[in-house]
Amino acid sequence: MSWFSRLRNAWNPRRLDADLDEEMRDHLERRAAALEQKGEKAEEAHRKARLRFGNATRLHEESRGFRLWTGLETTLQDIRYGWRGMRRSPGFTVTAVLSLGLAIGAITAIYSIVDAAVLMPLPVSKPDQLFRLAYPAISGIGSSAIDEWDSFSYPMYQRFLAASGPAARLAAFSNPESAEVQRSNSGATSQKVTRQFVSGNAFDLLGVSPALGRLLSPDDNRMPSGRAVAVLSYDYWNRRFDRDPKALGQLLQIDGKPYQIVGVARQGFWGVEPGRFVDIWVPATTYNSQALAGLDWHWLRIIGRLAPGVIRRQFQARLQPSFHQLQMELIKSSHMMPAMVRKQFLSSVIRVHPAATGVSDFRQTFSRPLWIVFGVALGILLIACANVASLLLARATARRTEMAMRVSLGAARKRLIRQMLTESLMLSLAAGALGWLFARIIAPLVVSAISTQGNPVQLALATDIRVLLFCIAVSTLAAVLFGLAPAWQASGVQPMLALRSSTGQASKLRLGKWFVSIQVACAFCMVMVGAAFLFSLGNLLRVNPGFDARNVAVLNLTMKAAKSDDPVAYSANHPGEQTRLRNLMFQIQQRVATQPGIQSAALAWWPIFEGGGWSERVIMPGKGPSERQEIFYRVSPKYFAALHTPLISGRDFRRRDSTAPQPIPAIVNEAFARRYFHGLNVLGRQFSYPFPPSPVRVAVVGVVADARYYNLRQPADPIVYLPLEATDSFTLYVRSPLNLGQIVRIAGHAANAVGSGMQIREATTLETIVGNTLLREKLLAGVGGAFAFFGLLLAAIGLFGLLSYSVGRRRKEMGIRVALGAQRGEIVALVLKDVTGLMGGGLIAGLAGALAIITVFRSLLFRIPFGDPWVIGTAIALFLLTGLLAAGLPAHRAATVDPVRALREE
Amino acid sequence: MPNVNSAQTALDLLVLTILDRRGPLHGYGIAVAIGDLSEETLRVEEGSLYPALHRMEELGWISAEWKMSETKRRARFYRISKAGKKQLASESERWASFSAGVSRVLRHA
Repeated sequence: MSWFSRLRNAWNPRRLDADLDEEMRDHLERRAAALEQKGEKAEEAHRKARLRFGNATRLHEESRGFRLWTGLETTLQDIRYGWRGMRRSPGFTVTAVLSLGLAIGAITAIYSIVDAAVLMPLPVSKPDQLFRLAYPAISGIGSSAIDEWDSFSYPMYQRFLAASGPAARLAAFSNPESAEVQRSNSGATSQKVTRQFVSGNAFDLLGVSPALGRLLSPDDNRMPSGRAVAVLSYDYWNRRFDRDPKALGQLLQIDGKPYQIVGVARQGFWGVEPGRFVDIWVPATTYNSQALAGLDWHWLRIIGRLAPGVIRRQFQARLQPSFHQLQMELIKSSHMMPAMVRKQFLSSVIRVHPAATGVSDFRQTFSRPLWIVFGVALGILLIACANVASLLLARATARRTEMAMRVSLGAARKRLIRQMLTESLMLSLAAGALGWLFARIIAPLVVSAISTQGNPVQLALATDIRVLLFCIAVSTLAAVLFGLAPAWQASGVQPMLALRSSTGQASKLRLGKWFVSIQVACAFCMVMVGAAFLFSLGNLLRVNPGFDARNVAVLNLTMKAAKSDDPVAYSANHPGEQTRLRNLMFQIQQRVATQPGIQSAALAWWPIFEGGGWSERVIMPGKGPSERQEIFYRVSPKYFAALHTPLISGRDFRRRDSTAPQPIPAIVNEAFARRYFHGLNVLGRQFSYPFPPSPVRVAVVGVVADARYYNLRQPADPIVYLPLEATDSFTLYVRSPLNLGQIVRIAGHAANAVGSGMQIREATTLETIVGNTLLREKLLAGVGGAFAFFGLLLAAIGLFGLLSYSVGRRRKEMGIRVALGAQRGEIVALVLKDVTGLMGGGLIAGLAGALAIITVFRSLLFRIPFGDPWVIGTAIALFLLTGLLAAGLPAHRAATVDPVRALREE
Repeated sequence: MPNVNSAQTALDLLVLTILDRRGPLHGYGIAVAIGDLSEETLRVEEGSLYPALHRMEELGWISAEWKMSETKRRARFYRISKAGKKQLASESERWASFSAGVSRVLRHA
């Protein structure tokens, strides 16, 4: 009660004051009345009563101290005072809140993404006990620059399981990938979901409970083939089943295979991979049997939980012997492994990493770019702080007389600083609230910018209280950053000087110049880094990929196999089936290519630039297998014509090449010809590639220009193109000026006409596919560039403000100069000299910072050398232009000063 | 030893005793009572009563409310609370032993 009443009194001290006054007045009057009764005159009675009472004001203050919360009262006073100040200068308030709000919004948005993707622990119990397994990448295999692999085969998982004993539990997870799902009972259309194969103990190990039904158990994961049961994520259950408990027991056709729904995982669990939300989990052993048995079929990640008391190092030592043994077996089973690769296999060491934050491809690709963008956002915040600080400084100067008055009336410096910091905090918390709203808008936009149809990025952005705390912390920190220096300076006013005249401004301007220098340094650094990323993206976009991606649609089709219970197994063992499939494929190509509006159509096993690939070692006549694995790609006739890849010499494939006996006709690109034949004159030359039981011989019938296969960054890889062979899922390239929808309709008609249950699974354009490999660059150039521009704008506003202010202060001086005969040009030069002085130091600091950043993140830049003159030149030009624009108006004002009026003022 | 700030303690003790014996009183009433009872020997500044009253109110020893007084004027009446009675009991005991000790010294020194 007393606590509450003190709070209430602090909130509204006027009532308390009235209360106290009334009580004391009552006392005085009663005393006076008593004295009057004793015969005193009224006036005398009142005087004596007051005398007996003592110093009423002091007593009032003393009582007040007991009955209200003085600290809070002071704060509330400061807030009211600040509020009045903000209302009095709405221009300043709006500018400050808006620029700070945008800056706080930018940094909060990026933080929320970084937090969800990189920092937040998995939504499971005791995530810090989790670990994941990995091993060093073996060079010469695969295309990517990742130096560590974490994919294992199912037999490897089983061996590790046996080796780990009681020291740890292990669970296996496939990559979450899209699958087609159809609800059996509704006969509805199929939908795309994200499906993950997991070992039966996965949920138990993670400590995830069911929201409905049961989760997977080790019993579901029976070998050789698991129970066809599925667990839904809560989100998917909500989305597709409206949280209907009757979903339990229903059948789902997942990629054509029936699964029974047995349960729903608890709310908030989306898997172990930040950036990817799983919709459906199924037992790993329902994957195709070939993959399950294959020692070298790497498709699982292994996540485990250590038993209490076991440390990761001990567990690593425990696992290493079986890992080594597995590597030996892999070497034995592999055909003609070169000595260099064998050595890497033998010396390979298993690694046990902490996995509290899960495993993520998204993180691997985007965590560094995200941190960079975070840094850029931090730069914006610094600029905005410096900006507001100099605005505050200017305002403090306007309030100098008031400050001086208060100091001379006895206000403590601490009290003044406290009051001004309260104002700063009010500004920044208002900005923080605005920023929070901005962040809620910006963050999903940034995520959607790096999300693609084939690889959707989903992050738990909104759910985290940590982001809100971050936002508040940033706002508070910002208040101290921009509020402290001006408050310190303003409160240190010398009343004598300030009240007498308006001299003694030099120190204030010096501080202001510091702020501008900071702004210039940050802004220049950001502009230069932004320019580097923009140029880098430009360089990538200018790369000649070796094909023309415009007007090419890419359709992925699947066909029902006539007799196959295993949809993934490749039906090479059935010659009749193969012929049937091949004929159907060529029919589709033929039908689509002859439709009006279609320029050409071609087939391949999978689309380029999506990471899919087949690589083999090359065996030159009389030599061992190559150390490198080269890209092999099966394509139909007209492939090069459809993609506009020039044929340098020789001929294109023909249909009958697909059934040709060895040596099989092959087309190689120039890079391959140069690497393996040391020249382009290679028609008729032969080589082979390993294929158990004996190598396959091929003969070169054509040479094509180099074309990129995985991405635009790496130089063109050697590629061997082989004739198309039958497969039940393949890619159709269509070159046509028609739009994608029209092309899909045409292809759909063609597929129906051919029959055989052919289906279009995915449709996109080649430009989109190529663009998707540039997401990281686009994020950096787009978001980074936009942020840098914003920073530049803020810095320009800051510069403009300071110059306007300093020109205003120097009106008299300018007036004298003009009166003494200074020309306009001289006055302008005087102001501009100020600008260059201000910008020079900041520019140098910014340049140094930018060069350091660019050096550190060199690998994210494409063909941007250290100290690239184009990047530096562009940044400086942009900057000088901005500086001139910001300085132009103040300089003009200075030059047009009317000396008579300027000198008469004051 | 009682509280070293014995002037304050003494005033508290007086106020609590008066409120305990006479029931609710306004500030002026308390001042008059102190004057009457001590036969004007304890002449404090009357105003200093109020901070003491407000402090004890915050401590929860007494409670206050605005009421119409006998002269049809609003006055703030103070009443001793349970905590106040407890405080009075322990404090008066300590005060008694303290003053007994002091007077013993005065007598025999």
